[in-house]
Amino acid sequence: MDKPTNYLYILDILKNEMSYSRQLLIKRSDISKVAIGILVAIMLFGFFVVGFDQGQLFSLVEGKQAFDSKWLHEFTHDMRHAAGFPCH
Amino acid sequence: MPLVFHVTENELDNEVDNELSMRTLPFLVITIISGAIAGTILGIINLGIVEPYIDKAIELETQKDIQAGQNVNLDEIVGYRIWQKGGEIVGGIIYGISLSSLFGIVFAYSRNSLPTSNDKVKAIFLASIMCFVLFIVPALKYPANPPAVGAPETIYYRQGLFVGFLVISGATALAAAAIILKKIDGTTSKKISIACAIYGAVMLVSYLVMPPNPDKISIPIDLIITFRFASALTISMFWGILGLTFGTLWSKFKPHKFEKITAF
Repeated sequence: MDKPTNYLYILDILKNEMSYSRQLLIKRSDISKVAIGILVAIMLFGFFVVGFDQGQLFSLVEGKQAFDSKWLHEFTHDMRHAAGFPCH
Repeated sequence: MPLVFHVTENELDNEVDNELSMRTLPFLVITIISGAIAGTILGIINLGIVEPYIDKAIELETQKDIQAGQNVNLDEIVGYRIWQKGGEIVGGIIYGISLSSLFGIVFAYSRNSLPTSNDKVKAIFLASIMCFVLFIVPALKYPANPPAVGAPETIYYRQGLFVGFLVISGATALAAAAIILKKIDGTTSKKISIACAIYGAVMLVSYLVMPPNPDKISIPIDLIITFRFASALTISMFWGILGLTFGTLWSKFKPHKFEKITAF
């Protein structure tokens, strides 16, 4: 993860006691874009759940009542205050 | 100029075939596990250190509502408190994984630029910077408040201010780091001084320009101040534990492993 993006590999292949070389250009990303995408999604979702939800997530299944009951908001309520997010 | 490596065919096949399982997966697992561990410890610590202040603030808020003649359902409040305390550790885990995800991304991209060759020290160093940028500095402008502070009708406004300041702080730190790494030549101390000057100047202006928290404080200020110190203590501990755990796991599993291919 700490090397430049593209590498040129010289592949030394030993076969039948004969030695020869061939060059192979491999394009590879040093940091997996898939991993970055997954982590960004986790970060945004987790941050929203703990720090910002006012009933929006549960309203997807519970409807408008979720904005009154705020079950998820109340579940993360104490961590929200402790971590410095605005609340109420 | 491309780097040239000599590898055997087997080594190359293994490297390519196993790229997902040998590099991406350890990176993801290390990042998520370290956040879950640090978040769990944060939740447990908060139950002992921060909860007493939250209980006290809610007690004062309830007394105030009763004195104001409001119809207060104490059974409902007790039920909510059980639910809220029950979520402390789960909330800590979600918070921990969320921040460790960001931490993992920043660490992966900045690892080469971080001081020392020890991944554990690198991780703790980065965790300290991120704690300062993402918690300490935003808390100077919009500090943590216990329940009983904050009107429901201003919540979205306050969330907007908080996110705005948080994003300015994080983006400025990233920009300052990028500038000194790519545009500035000179000694390390000169680069650090320039980065600090850029970050300090932008945050000072933001601090002065951004509007204050609009809500009045109606509970004793000493309760609020001790709550803020407790919050700063446990969140700082969280960042320290996250850096230590992440660095330890990174050192052990080496998701950056490229060294097995020997450069001639």
